[in-house]
Amino acid sequence: MAQDINPMSKRQNPSEFLKQIVGKPVVVKLNSGVDYRGILSCLDGFMNIALEQTEEYQNGQLKNKYGDAFIRGNNVLYISTQKR
Amino acid sequence: MASTTVNPSSLLPLELVDKCIGSRIWVIMKNEKEIVGTLMGFDDYVNMVLEDVVEYETTAEGKRVTKLDTILLNGNHITMLVPGGEGPEV
Repeated sequence: MAQDINPMSKRQNPSEFLKQIVGKPVVVKLNSGVDYRGILSCLDGFMNIALEQTEEYQNGQLKNKYGDAFIRGNNVLYISTQKR
Repeated sequence: MASTTVNPSSLLPLELVDKCIGSRIWVIMKNEKEIVGTLMGFDDYVNMVLEDVVEYETTAEGKRVTKLDTILLNGNHITMLVPGGEGPEV
């Protein structure tokens, strides 16, 4: 593809992104609108996710805290890093 | 029936998305949600990596949820992509 000649290739494909974010604090939003914030333990190509120190937010309100959480990938709307 | 000639330089959908890498893109989902961000990359399933993302939810009178950093958006619920789009009127 034409991207090979680009020296400043800032392109980041999903698989690369996933490798980079393991171990980082993330926000996982589900299709239902529920929000989970925690540290990403691992994930796979189906977007199945394992989180540590998870907080569950519903309508912006903290609802629950879980030590470990497993989220099935079909429910995931997006995964976001949260540097702030 | 008039014969239709195929334009050899016609653009494939995924090529159009590829051209959009580096610029803003407006993603409209199946439900009442829209996402605007800078396209960093995507895959064959049109899962997308977006940066500096703003999330718009309709029905709640244009409630906006601003997220920074980078997200991986699941391509399953994407309906439409608008390259260079600014998103819905706030």
